[in-house]
Amino acid sequence: MFKILKSLSKSLGGGKPAAEAPPPSKAKAGSLLDKVNKGAPAAAKVEPTQSPEELCGITPKMAKDEIKAQLKLLFRRYNRSASSLDAKLRGEADQMLDAIVQMREKHFGEI
Amino acid sequence: MAEYVGIDLGTTLSGLAYLKPDGNPEIVPNADGERLTHSVVFFDSHEDVKLVGSAARDGGEPDRTIFQIKRFMDDPEHLVEIDGKKWTPAEISALILSKLKRDCSKICGDITEVVITVPANFNELARKSTIAAAEMAGMKVKRLVNEPTAAAVYYAHSQGVKGRILVFDLGGGTLDTTILDVEGDNIKILTSEGARHLGGSNFDDILLAAYEEQYKKQTGAALYSDERHRRRVLQATEDAKKMLSKLQRVNDTVANDQNSGIARIDLSREHFEKLIRHMLTRTVFLVEQALDSAKLKTSDIDHVVLVGGSTRIPKVKSMLEKMFGKVPKSCGNVDECVALGAALFAKKSSRIQEVCNASYGTLAMVYNAKTKEEKLMNSIVIPKNTPIPCSRTQVYQTSEDNERVIEVDITQGEDEDAKFVDVIGRLTLDVPPNRPKGCEVAVTFSYDENQRVRALVVDKQSGRSKEVAVTYKGAGVLSDEELKRRSHHLRAMRIE
Repeated sequence: MFKILKSLSKSLGGGKPAAEAPPPSKAKAGSLLDKVNKGAPAAAKVEPTQSPEELCGITPKMAKDEIKAQLKLLFRRYNRSASSLDAKLRGEADQMLDAIVQMREKHFGEI
Repeated sequence: MAEYVGIDLGTTLSGLAYLKPDGNPEIVPNADGERLTHSVVFFDSHEDVKLVGSAARDGGEPDRTIFQIKRFMDDPEHLVEIDGKKWTPAEISALILSKLKRDCSKICGDITEVVITVPANFNELARKSTIAAAEMAGMKVKRLVNEPTAAAVYYAHSQGVKGRILVFDLGGGTLDTTILDVEGDNIKILTSEGARHLGGSNFDDILLAAYEEQYKKQTGAALYSDERHRRRVLQATEDAKKMLSKLQRVNDTVANDQNSGIARIDLSREHFEKLIRHMLTRTVFLVEQALDSAKLKTSDIDHVVLVGGSTRIPKVKSMLEKMFGKVPKSCGNVDECVALGAALFAKKSSRIQEVCNASYGTLAMVYNAKTKEEKLMNSIVIPKNTPIPCSRTQVYQTSEDNERVIEVDITQGEDEDAKFVDVIGRLTLDVPPNRPKGCEVAVTFSYDENQRVRALVVDKQSGRSKEVAVTYKGAGVLSDEELKRRSHHLRAMRIE
């Protein structure tokens, strides 16, 4: 497995290097990250009209173990996102965490 | 002079403790005689004075009263405007810390250096803002320590226990879970996980919504029309919540400020627990996450320790008892043990093995030769929970022919998906021309005991290298000059 360095500015085709210390805090719109995330599961993009199942990527065919693993992964991701430096991501996180809790209660019962 | 001082800068309550000559920590009361100080600031309109504590909480002018500023420590756009001056969260926090320093130093002696506690999941900006707040208040921060770590240090000290401990710290604004091994005075942190906006004030908000609903049902009117009245009702819901930790049922009467009549609020513990069930499910997720991070099962935990005012809620205790099959223990006074532990930490830090609070890495295009797939990923160099001090290296390849500048984005976060991590810095290295792509570049991160991270990039072919301190310098971080100016200004203020 090769790992090739790919900074955000180079991904965007910027010629000159950015200043040393102050970084971009997040990828700009239309960046390589956005392109990459187009292929990501529905869970990565929060739309207000989506059901908790759609937000969490839970399908009727999934086994209990798969659902559990998926919910754990999403909780870790969005719980961390709730502390992100990116305000937009922080905003999405709460909606996702609600959906994750609803899915847990639906499939594994209330606490 | 107080040599070992710890401060719990909490969302709703703050406390200061110092280490007595006998080696035991003690809470130092403020000048109002309270052991803990409400983290509330009131800007008086008549006199040039800032009130901090219960006097501020009861001040009654919501436009001039600041609650729960800790929740905004990482928001560079959150500014509080009072009389035309814009205050940052760090400055508001500095007023709270100034009150603690001024009041407590009259009892325990001069306070110059402190350990301050922060939630386990505080990001770089929130940690920097906390340090800036302390500096503005005239104190040097010896160390920041995670709140559950401090609580665990106090628990281990006061109870003399040994074994594997899980600390469940549900405070006013955050939940933190830490797992650690204790053997005498030696403490080894295994993992710390935190959840933001999950604490007592969220439960108060949920109860407030229930009050509003019942009031509307009974009178047809809205329960409040302005912030002043909302605050009053919120205070009533907080009192009801506390009562429900002792009683099965609570009756309350509320009225709005429009003479729409009085409503009788009837609340049962069962109903309250139902209302907060979703939030408690989040706490279970976090405990499971901590166990997974430490690769442990519930049966591997010897003691479950409760910290924070919200652990007084009976459902919290029963939920954890059901999960672990053992009765959770209280850490003495659940509101004070973080500050007490911070004072102990100030002296014992060398005997406490901590871990990295977050993963550090870089963005890389990862090519899988087997599947021929290429994906931009967060490539982690130092994983979260690695014992510190530590140093780790990963080798990467350059992506283009004739690449003159190697750029390494420094990421903070555990997710493989680059969208879900923060890019907190960038390192650039000039390299010789006319080289093909695929030249090897070694990226090394090191993390020291003071939680300082350094990044080193070495171009293997040319031998050129560059090393920088990894530190977030984005929006919301004050320059040294600005910090000095604001410190000077703040120290001249009247703070009561």
